[in-house]
Amino acid sequence: MNPSIRNRLLSTTTVVLVVFLALTGYVLDRAYQASVLSGVEEQLKLVIYAVMSVVEEESAQLVVLEGLSEPRLSQPDSGLYAQISDDLSGAIWTSASAVATDVRFSQIDSEPGAFVFSEATGRYQLIYTVIWEGLETERVNFIAATDQAPVVRSIHQFRGTLGAGFALSMVFFIVAQLAALRWGLRPLRDMAEEVEALEKGEKEQMSDTYPLELQGLAGNLDRFVEHEQRSRTRYRNALEDLAHSLKTPLAVVKNSLLELQPDKGLMGEQLERMSSTVTHQLSKASARGPVVVGKPVDISKQINRLVPALKTAYVDKGIQIELVLAETAFVRGDESDFLEIFGNLLENAFKYTATEVAVCLNVVELGSGRAAIEVFVEDNGRGIPLERRKEVLNRGKRLDEIEPGQGIGLAVVADLVELYGGRLTISDSDLGGARIRVQLPY
Amino acid sequence: MRVLVVEDESLLRDQLADHLKAQGFAVDAAADGEEGLYYGREYEYDAAVVDLGLPKIDGIELIKTLRGEQRTFPVLVLTARGHWQDKVEGLEAGADDYVAKPFQMEEVVARLNALIRRTAGYASPVLSQGELKLDTAKKEVRVAGAAIELTAYEYKVLEYLMLNPDRVVSKSELTDHLYNQDFDRDSNVIEVFVGRLRKKLTPVDTIRTVRGQGYRFVAEPTA
Repeated sequence: MNPSIRNRLLSTTTVVLVVFLALTGYVLDRAYQASVLSGVEEQLKLVIYAVMSVVEEESAQLVVLEGLSEPRLSQPDSGLYAQISDDLSGAIWTSASAVATDVRFSQIDSEPGAFVFSEATGRYQLIYTVIWEGLETERVNFIAATDQAPVVRSIHQFRGTLGAGFALSMVFFIVAQLAALRWGLRPLRDMAEEVEALEKGEKEQMSDTYPLELQGLAGNLDRFVEHEQRSRTRYRNALEDLAHSLKTPLAVVKNSLLELQPDKGLMGEQLERMSSTVTHQLSKASARGPVVVGKPVDISKQINRLVPALKTAYVDKGIQIELVLAETAFVRGDESDFLEIFGNLLENAFKYTATEVAVCLNVVELGSGRAAIEVFVEDNGRGIPLERRKEVLNRGKRLDEIEPGQGIGLAVVADLVELYGGRLTISDSDLGGARIRVQLPY
Repeated sequence: MRVLVVEDESLLRDQLADHLKAQGFAVDAAADGEEGLYYGREYEYDAAVVDLGLPKIDGIELIKTLRGEQRTFPVLVLTARGHWQDKVEGLEAGADDYVAKPFQMEEVVARLNALIRRTAGYASPVLSQGELKLDTAKKEVRVAGAAIELTAYEYKVLEYLMLNPDRVVSKSELTDHLYNQDFDRDSNVIEVFVGRLRKKLTPVDTIRTVRGQGYRFVAEPTA
């Protein structure tokens, strides 16, 4: 099952959001812890300085005077402790707070003059070792310690706040996302509904209120539907025309058969008429017309296919061919339609010419940015009489009203050219015969 | 002239075969592409009529295959809907001419005759060798301007020899190309025809006997 667009977007953004929040949370937590610990260290440093400020040397012994600036050191259970020790006699002095709670300080060897921060048995501890000249043992450790619990509590509290904030923003984000999806995907839903309506025949056209991204698609659908409808209409018209124009000759032949002396000539003529009607209507009905999607067709290439083929078929006539074709001339449409147009034109030229056929294709500008390909097919045959030209090009005239002969192929061509919104004109060629010009929108 | 007809609609196939036989062709008729390919490979033909929409092997494919196997006899294609797509594809596959359905038998015969003559190198429907002129359209033979009476078989022999000038044509080749399968293949009959033909064509003397091999039509050197 292919997931819906909504689910695709939703699952992607949710995953992205969760990963983003987790990373952010981790980084924030680390940063907070680091900053809290450096705060603790700073505080312990101040305690050490306070203790040092009230220490004096008396006869090679250290003495702690009155007047500690940090009152918490004197309160039991205050959570802040200090001690002075040396290597020889151990603790020299311990703060009242530490005595009351029996704090054990860990004596870590450290370089004189450096603060060493450590963490042990539920406390943070900072040691500062100094060399005190004139004392019995010159190395003296000043140690300050504080309870870990308040720090841990503060970190937990921070995490709680962070988590709650994140959860809230997550909920908000998902709700917003759902709303955005609903709003954003609405045109697609509308489009699906409209296409369904088109299918059912409840509508004939897509509405033109789609956002920019979908306008092209809606337009294409419209053209596609229109193209479908046009071909259907053409198909139906061709069928109706066919049926209609076969009735008369059929009746003539039927009646002729009932006569004592059936007129074979007349029947042959009627059959010929029926045959050309079938050919023409069939080509009309099967024409695809300009297509909405698909590859444009290179007309030069089609003519280059047709000419050698016709040369083979008309090799007897020893026709001289002059071909001047633009290298590429693309027209959007169906290949077989173009083969039909130019096959018929070229066949006529080959069939009716005396010795020469000239084909010329170029691209012409029609102004206002539009262009067309223009093809001339000329020969030096007898040409096409004026009244015949009118007959062939007279739009709306059904072919069964046109006399059979040279006009059939041309009438087919004229229909197809019109279908593509092009133009067909017939004139006299400088070569002496007919000159057919076809313009097709580029 | 031996002609292969490949057409799947039996009514049309029979009509074509009958009409061509009546016009003096020897005809083999095949109902589908496969059969057509078999005949085309197995026998020498002077021409073939091939419908494009065939069962088993499509007409285009049939022509391509035969052409690929150096079968050079001219091919006339019949296109069902007269669409140019079909015509172009047929000609590109190696066909020499096309006729769109529905066609008239006369049209097919005329096209076939033209193709056969074209293949032999004659530009005009009147085959001309010096004083001897054979009109393929009217089936008429003239020597120095005077029409001479020939039987259908004598005419066929002369036409075949004129279409294959300067080449030894064996008696069996003549029977192969001129007679339908049901004909009594007695080579003596050919000798009799050729003998009578020579007599009727006098003073033109262009049919030579190549001992033990057959006959040769000596073409006029083209000036």
